Amino acid sequence: MRSLLFATLALFSAVVFSQPTIKIGVITDRVGVSKPYSEPSTEGLIFGAEEINRRGGILGRKIELLVEDDQSRPDISAALARKLIDQGVVFILSMSLTPATQQQQTVTMEAKTPQMTPMNSGDTLTTQLPNPYFWQTGPLGSIQIATLLAHARAKNLKQVALITDNSDLGQLLGRFFKAGLEKSGIKVVAEEVIPRGATTASPQMQKIRAANPDAMFMAGVLTAENVLIFKAYREFGLKFPIHSSYNLSVPVYMTVAKGLIDGVTFVDAYDPEKPQVKAFEAAYKKATGKDSFNLHGYGYDGIMLVAEAIKAAGSTDKEKIRAAMQNVKYEGVMGARGMKYSFPEGKRAGFDPNGMVVRVYEGDKQGRVIYTGQK
Amino acid sequence: MQDFLELAVSATASGCVYGLVALAYLLMIRPTGIINFAVGEWAMVGAFGGVVLLTKYEWNYALGMATVIAFMAAVGWATERIAVRPLVERGAPILAPILALLGMVMVFRESISVSFPPDPHAVPYPFGLGRLEWGPLGGSYQSFFIVAVSLLVFAGFWLFFEKSLWGRSFEAVALNRRAAALMGINLSRVTSVSFAGGAAVAGLAGLLVSPNVSAHYLMGVPLAIQGFTALVIGGVGRVEGALLGGLLLSFAEQLAARYAPIASGFTQGVPLLLLMLFLIFRPTGLLRARA
Repeated sequence: MRSLLFATLALFSAVVFSQPTIKIGVITDRVGVSKPYSEPSTEGLIFGAEEINRRGGILGRKIELLVEDDQSRPDISAALARKLIDQGVVFILSMSLTPATQQQQTVTMEAKTPQMTPMNSGDTLTTQLPNPYFWQTGPLGSIQIATLLAHARAKNLKQVALITDNSDLGQLLGRFFKAGLEKSGIKVVAEEVIPRGATTASPQMQKIRAANPDAMFMAGVLTAENVLIFKAYREFGLKFPIHSSYNLSVPVYMTVAKGLIDGVTFVDAYDPEKPQVKAFEAAYKKATGKDSFNLHGYGYDGIMLVAEAIKAAGSTDKEKIRAAMQNVKYEGVMGARGMKYSFPEGKRAGFDPNGMVVRVYEGDKQGRVIYTGQK
Repeated sequence: MQDFLELAVSATASGCVYGLVALAYLLMIRPTGIINFAVGEWAMVGAFGGVVLLTKYEWNYALGMATVIAFMAAVGWATERIAVRPLVERGAPILAPILALLGMVMVFRESISVSFPPDPHAVPYPFGLGRLEWGPLGGSYQSFFIVAVSLLVFAGFWLFFEKSLWGRSFEAVALNRRAAALMGINLSRVTSVSFAGGAAVAGLAGLLVSPNVSAHYLMGVPLAIQGFTALVIGGVGRVEGALLGGLLLSFAEQLAARYAPIASGFTQGVPLLLLMLFLIFRPTGLLRARA
């Protein structure tokens, strides 16, 4: 009986290994401005692909990742998308900056190749181009501000300050934050920008201090510049509460902003108490020997979602994958408990508007979830 | 008024950092005519020296700082040997070493990028994160520390150029390389020392600013631009010009950000405007070189 089992397994393995691989393209940033975000997300993605292959692959075939580095430069990014398509990928996962992902769409739309970003947050990615081959599962900037506002609503804010940086994404998120605040009837009394490479945030924080806000919202995504804001805040002895974008959810702040962030609330797509998160963290640690955090989860969910779509399509035909992708529902590592990625009614932004959580820094540690969703 | 005085301390500290980077440029431009845009990356390497010695191995700050400066001097010396001297000895035009040094920008950045995780890294403050009130002036300990160290460096280099024979030989090379060589001045040695000194000063600037901005692999380019702007404003001829240019630039930046009645995003154009105005109306900078 045992020999029969081994023989069956050997035959199955031979069949699996003799099958051509399913090629999936990954465009990431290994040296540019997005590297701190792209690198861990891509590590999570690679871990996910290895896990899928360990379980036998998809449709009896292994996944083969073709990884390219676009340095977050849109001009290079589009050319790389073309290169990957020429190499036979059936899907492209975009892991660098929003403008680069946007540029790739010009190629994937024309080549009718499915593409998804599991980490970009710009709201415009699925609205500027009518590209039925593109999806986005990163939490949108508008969802972030809506979640933060829902949490802040109870605090009866009348006037707030808004601060961001001059990066593309920081500016984009700043606009979403401002629109969301004004829509809620909250007056933005100071709106400041910290330029990349600044050596201080003192003048901007002085202006905010003079405006006397009830709270300050941070939309910036540049870690070093955000730390300058915290330093000026502490140096000036300011007391108003700070509510931040998801950028504060990356664990680097626990070391570079040590002693500066106690009490800061931030929006996140990661609930450390969620069972899927605990399982993912344990499996990642076991496989790699390293700790994981929320950015790893974005990449992991991305490849798992694509695998679900290919499985549901039952084929690597791009048109069938596109149709399957639009109907997929998947509960992953990211998002509040019970949240599923989905693309109802033809939508292509799949992060549930009620899937984000608000967490608070307790000392220098990322602490508990204090609010979930927008309701 | 309290805001202005607070800002004056912050702007002076930032201006000193810009001034140090400008000084690093100046130390190499004066005797060689070579504009070395790798100074920003040298500042970044100096900051990562702080990450290794002060954060990871928790060395005494003074010892760590001295080691970083010595290491950076060696880096500058080696850079000159590898990227500049072979070209100069083959009689290449002045543009050749400038382009080779631009290539070194990538070498330094990528070396750090692959050697350290991509996130910013904390570098400790020598006196902690606190606020010092000194008469009507108030600011962080680090701001006062940056100003004090920078003034010492500038005073040292001013004395070197004005009072020492070595400094005079640098000036002689700057005025006329051929005549200086005929007088027995070793041009190769002057070039080596200028690169070693430039790298040491740039590394010090990076180390001083890193507790505020954190050490990260992309921090070099903004510092290189700010230092170059300060150099254009102050003039390439005099040590005190580098400091003056740095201070003028940082005060323009920060006063515009605080008081100019324009949207915050537009104040980023102020340094660029200043650079253009100086290049058009006073290309020699505020302080001209002595004849």
